Formats: sequence, C-alpha cells, structure tokens
Amino acid sequence: MADITSILPYYIISGLLVGSIYGLATIGLTLIFGVLRVVNVGHGAYIMIGMYVTFWLFTLYSLNPFITLIPAFLVGLALGMLLFYVALKRLLRAPELSTLISTFGFGVILEELAKVLWGADYRGFVYSLGSLYLQGIPLPLVRVWPAVIALGLVIALYVLLYRTRLGVAVRAVTQDPEGAMVCGVDVERVYFLTVALGIGLTTASGALLAIYFQQGIYPYIGHLYTLRAFVIAVLGGLGSPIGAFIGGLIVGVIEQASVPLFTMLGAPNPFGLSVFLTFTLILVILLLRPQGLLGR
Amino acid sequence: MTLSRTHILALLTLYAILLGLRILVEVVGPLGPITGQLLTLLAFYIALGQAFNIFLGMTGYVDFGYVAFMALGMYGMASGVVRAYEAGLTGYYGIVFGLIQTITLTSLLALMVGGIALRLRGAYFAIATISVNEGLRYLVEGLDIWEGSRGLIVSGPLIRLFGSEGFSLLATIISDIMVFSVALLALVISIVFLNTRIGYALKAIREDEDAARVMGVNTTMYKVLAFTTSGILGGLLGAAWSFKVASIYPPDAFNILYTIEAIILVMLGGAGTLAGPIVSGTLYGSLKYFLAGILPGFQLLVFAPILVAVIVVAPEGIVGALRVYIPATRRFIA
Amino acid sequence: MLEVLNVTKRFGGLVALKNVSLKIERGERVAIVGPNGSGKTTLFNVINGIYKPDEGRVLFEGVDITDLPAYRRAHLGIARAFQIPRPFPNITVRESVAVGALFGSYYGRIGVREALEIADEKLKLVNLYDKRFELTGRLTVPELKLLELARALASKPKLLLLDEIVAGMPPAMVDHLMLLVRRVADEEGIAIATLVEHVMRAVVRFADRVIVLHLGSKILEGSPEEVLRNPLMEEIYLGRRWSP
Repeated sequence: MADITSILPYYIISGLLVGSIYGLATIGLTLIFGVLRVVNVGHGAYIMIGMYVTFWLFTLYSLNPFITLIPAFLVGLALGMLLFYVALKRLLRAPELSTLISTFGFGVILEELAKVLWGADYRGFVYSLGSLYLQGIPLPLVRVWPAVIALGLVIALYVLLYRTRLGVAVRAVTQDPEGAMVCGVDVERVYFLTVALGIGLTTASGALLAIYFQQGIYPYIGHLYTLRAFVIAVLGGLGSPIGAFIGGLIVGVIEQASVPLFTMLGAPNPFGLSVFLTFTLILVILLLRPQGLLGR
Repeated sequence: MTLSRTHILALLTLYAILLGLRILVEVVGPLGPITGQLLTLLAFYIALGQAFNIFLGMTGYVDFGYVAFMALGMYGMASGVVRAYEAGLTGYYGIVFGLIQTITLTSLLALMVGGIALRLRGAYFAIATISVNEGLRYLVEGLDIWEGSRGLIVSGPLIRLFGSEGFSLLATIISDIMVFSVALLALVISIVFLNTRIGYALKAIREDEDAARVMGVNTTMYKVLAFTTSGILGGLLGAAWSFKVASIYPPDAFNILYTIEAIILVMLGGAGTLAGPIVSGTLYGSLKYFLAGILPGFQLLVFAPILVAVIVVAPEGIVGALRVYIPATRRFIA
Repeated sequence: MLEVLNVTKRFGGLVALKNVSLKIERGERVAIVGPNGSGKTTLFNVINGIYKPDEGRVLFEGVDITDLPAYRRAHLGIARAFQIPRPFPNITVRESVAVGALFGSYYGRIGVREALEIADEKLKLVNLYDKRFELTGRLTVPELKLLELARALASKPKLLLLDEIVAGMPPAMVDHLMLLVRRVADEEGIAIATLVEHVMRAVVRFADRVIVLHLGSKILEGSPEEVLRNPLMEEIYLGRRWSP
C-alpha cells in the first residue's frame, strides 16, 4: 500500500492542472448567468464540440492540437451566436423555465447531431510531448501546457472585463441592465457578445481538455462536464469569473485527490466515486452557502 | 379550477379505451396498425407525462434529473425480485418487496434533494437536479451497488420465479397493465391536486412565487409535496418497466433521454393541464413508434428542435393554447 | 393592533428605514405618505415579512411576528395589494382571487368551492365580475389594480396594506376606489394602511391619520389637515424654498 503522503503531491498538482482547465470551462457558464441571468443547461455539449474539433483536426489533418484551439474557439463563437438568436433572444422576459428548457434543448440538438454525424463510439488520440519533472514527479507536458493556456485565457478575459470599454459595458449590464441601458449601453448587443464569448471560451476549454485527456471523447461526454461546471460555478459563486476559476482549482484538486483515497478505502470504482463526491459537493454548498465563495 | 365532471369522465373513458384496446390486442392480435407495442409505448408516455406534469407542469420548476426516480424504480423493483429469488421466496414477495424499495428510495431521494434544493430559486434547483442524475449513476457504479457496471440481470430470476410463460406474460401484458395503473394513479392525483387548494398553491408558485408567499402559500411545503409525488410516480413507472428489460445497466437506467422526453411531453401537451400529457403522450408515442422504422436513432434529433420551437413559440403547449385562444374552453378543459 | 417598534432596515450602505415606529389600531385608516425613496415600500415589506428588519420588532395583535415567515402572516390576517400588480398571468381572474381566499385568514378552513364563491363576491364588489373567466394576463392596468384589491379582500384580512393603489389613475377613479375601500373597511372592520406618494386627494378623503416618511424616518404624524398644511411637506417634496 503506497504511502499516501508520497503520492498525494502528484494528485494535488494534477488537480491544479486539470482544475485550471475546469475553471476556464466554467467561466462561460458563469459569465452568461451573471450577465443574462440565464443558466445554460446544455453547457457540457459545447465542451464536447470543442473536444471533437481537436480530435478531428488532429486525426484527419495532423494539425497540432494546440493550434486547434483557434478553430475551436471560433466554432464556439458561432454556436454562441446561434444559441442567442434561437434560444435566448425571444425568451429574455419569459419565465425562468423557458430559457432553462431552451438551452437544454439546444444542447441536446448538438449532442444528437454529434451522435448522428460521428457515431456514439468513444474516440481518442495519442499525442505526447514528453514530461517535465518536478521534484521527481513526472508531469506530462500535454497536461501542463493546457493548464497554462487556460490560465492565460482567464487572464485575457480579466483584461477584457476590466480594461476595455466592452468589459465596462458587460459589468454594467451585470449590475443593472436598466441602468446600463439608460446610460447608452446597447444591452442586447452586450448579451449577444457575452453569449458568443462565453460559448467560445467553453469550446476552447473542450479543446484543452481533449489535449489533456486524449481519451473518452463521445457525444454524451458533456453531461459529466455539465455536472462539474455547475458545481464549480455554484462553489465560486454564480456570476463571478474569478470565483469560477478558483472553484475550478478546488474541485480539480478534490476530484483528483479523492481517487487515491477511495482506492485506499477499497472502493471498487474510485473514479465513479470521485464524481459522486463532486455531486454531493453541490448539495453541501447549496445547503450551507448557496451564493458560493464570491457570489452575491 | 373545479374541473368539470364531463372533462374528468372523458379522460377516464379515454384511459379505459386505451386499456381495453391493449387487452383486446393481446387476445386477438394486432388491429391494423395498432399493435401491442404501440399501445405499450402510448401508455408509457402518457404515464410519464402525467407524472412529470405534477411537478414541472404545476410548479414551473424543471427537474433535470427526473430520470433518477425512474432508475431507482427500476433498480428497486428488480433488486427486490432478485433478492426474493436468492432468498427462496415466491415471486410475489419479490414484487411486493420491490414495490416497497421503490417507494422508499424515491421518497428518500425526493426529500433529500427537494429539501435542499427547493428552498432556492429555480435556477439553482435546475443545477442541483441535473447533477443528481449523474451523481447517482456514478454512485451506483462507484460502489458497485446492484451489480454496478456489470448489470443487474433480471430476466433469469424472473423466469425461475414465474416460469417462462409467466415471465412472458409479465414482460408484456402484465407490466403494461402496471404502466396503465401508474398512468391512472397519476391522473387521479392530478385531478385531486387541481381540484383542491394544492393545485391553486402550485399554480400560484408557478406564476409568481414571491407573491404567492405573501398571500399565504407555504411555497416550500407545496413544492416538496409536488416533487415527492411526481418522483414516486416516476419510480413506480420505472418499477413497472423493469419487467420488460433483461438486465439493467447504470448508463441505460440513468439515461437522460427520459428526462428530455418527459420535458417534451409536459411542455408540448400543456404544462399544468390535465389533458395535456394525454394528448402529447399519444402524439409522441405514435410518432416515435412509426418513425422508429424510418429514422432509427434519429428520434431525439427530431424532437429536441420541436421542444425548442414549442418553448419559444407556444410555451402553453397544445391544450394550453386551446385555453388561451378559445375562451369557451376554459370552463371545461383544465 | 399592529405595532412597528424601532425598526431599522439597511441594504448594504443604504439605510432604508431608520428607527421607525408606528401603531395602527383595529379598523383605523392610515395613510403613509412620502416622496420616492422615503422607505414606504420597505416598511410594507417589513410588515409583510418580505424583509426582516435589522433592528426593531413588529407586533401584530400582541404577538411578535418579526421572525414569522411571510406566508404565516397572511394566515394571521395581513394582506397586501402591490403597487405594480402581481397577477398570475396564466390563470383566470376568478382563480387568481380564489388564491387570496384560500390562503388568507381562512387558511385550512376553506375549500375550493367556497373560495370561488368568495372570489365571485369580491369581483362583483370591484366590478370585475364580468371578466372573471378572462386570463389575468390580459387585463388592463387599472383592472389589474382592482384585481389586486379583490384578491387582498378575499383573504378576509384584519390589516390591509394598499401599496399606492391609486397612482396613475384619473381623479374620478381615485375617488371611486377610495370610497369603495373606505366602505369595505368600515363594513368589515379592516384596518387599512395605504401608501401614497403624491395623490393627496386619496389621503384627504380617506385617512383618519397620516404618517409622513422621509429618507427612512418618520417626520410627521397627525390628521390629514394638520399634516398637509405643515410647511415641512412642501420642503420634502419640492426641496427648501428659495427665499426671495
């Protein structure tokens, strides 16, 4: 039985790496909620699309997976625009359940299209860049780089939100849509751009996740990520991008660190249990502090 | 909404006709395009729609993890039967035990999730419930409950308990009658709810929860009531259906497909209406049955856009639209 | 009957209510007056249970209801008609009023049939009976205000909180409505507190007593004539006078 203190650092670092990408994957969700007050229930589907973009471009055209980030992001932008016009624009004043169902339906459409076009089988690929060694712990570069890029994108978003005019508009609409409108902000355009950007970041994170895991890509992989994203978003506080990132790190670490724990406890399926743990986290947070760490 | 007696009788008659047809077809064989399988499907979707309508339709809260109730029902019944078999008891003990398990498990889930998540707003509730499905599935796989990923084999024990002829009857007409019973139970409960202050409370919650609270509605209590009722009915439906499958695997049992279908059924028919689920159940079941030959595996791809279209263009659904645009119907159709 | 004792309510840095105290006796008619932002609606929200005060207590018929959830206060007999009507858009007018009857002070003692009868009665009172099968989402704004009133009355309240019910109405309608409210209040012994921002007509013809709020504090109290003649009123609405 391995001494847990010796393998724990590996899992914690793994957790931080994957958590960084989880954080990016959640920022789109939390941004859309913060600005439009809409929960994109179909969130995971866009991550799935991002994964497939990377998979296909790498497998068919041998494109460097890191480069596929750009087409993935662009696909996400386009999907976000479509999502806004089809499922959101006319429903902004409708009761809550309308957008819950419409975003859910849109996600299902994407998943079914993926199933019909690409089949329901699990896809994967192999891509390696060697490893970097930290105090004897091997860290595959294909896992380190995506985490770094995710962090970079989050910082870029921060710059966008706090140092540009668009960012000011977005934050104004988040605080008070009517007030912003009165000040001359084209609120609907802000909504539109937020959704496009949010989905774009989400598909980009899918590409990064594909590079990180390289296996297990199939049309319904989104469901697992929707669960994770929701936990992270609620933990960080719905509507707070920084909260989403920090939440991502926390959940990443908890998930990764729980696997060796469950193995040690003799559980038959430690991975399954770690997902279940993530799920119970949601109930705990909702019970104790629904607004999350940084929410209002 | 004192429901008109004619309306209630009309719906009950429809149910009777459906059940009668099913029994008839079992005895004399298919009548033209109407086969046993078609009627089974119709019964299933009417039951699903009616059960889910009690929650989604009447409160306006979306339970994205509804299929978890059905899965618990399937597992509850199946494991009850298997346990009876292993203990050497007769099949009837198994069914009773399975029933008890179903009701217990679904109530527990409803109270736990509902107790936590229903105190919060609709958005948080949606988030909590969508996690429930995945979470439970991974729990079952993670702890190898009910044989986990290896699958819980039901057909074997059933054959040994009831004989192969008994098993064949169970898997077809008898489980169909069970499904019909769930549909009937759901209908009766809906009628009771709609005819009493429970229905008024739920609709007030759906329309304007804050105003409802100020007017004296204990919103949390009523939400939990609707949630638990709807959940238990979903579990009973899953239990009835468990006789039709040879074995149960977590990904199939917790398949989000049923949640999607349940949402479609309620919204398409008319959320919160009594006749809605019957209309949409019949429509959806028939379409699915007849399209299965033409477009296998494409069904959701057809229905998901329909769902989005309904929600954007006509969120009242079919029966709801009737009430809105033809005022004369308001007294008679609910 | 209703006692608000030293209630303070803060929202972050903003103090909406500052140490406000008032009393309303059974059957009294009180008008609470003040310009926009004076805290009138917040006061009602505290009485209703929508907000909990940061300091102070609220007593109703001698019972401390400060910590009682909103829905229980309705059962005790506190009813509210909102300023911006909260119809239940997709149910009929009749059903909407019935909700008030079912969950007000009759709660637990009344069935749907009786509730619908009470609804019909109240709808006749406010002259909306002909529209009882209409979906509430289709009524005009004045009709919605009448609906709010009918719904509040249907709950057989002991205290009726009317939130700017006559704002935006033509003078004739204001008179008619206030007379109606006054008549019902007298008949049933309901205490009524009404919020008024600027329709002083409603105040004069209706209230026994006027309370004036400004920036969260109670600054005046007295009969309508006394209060309206007080130069402070002009100041808080129009600002300090320029002396020539």
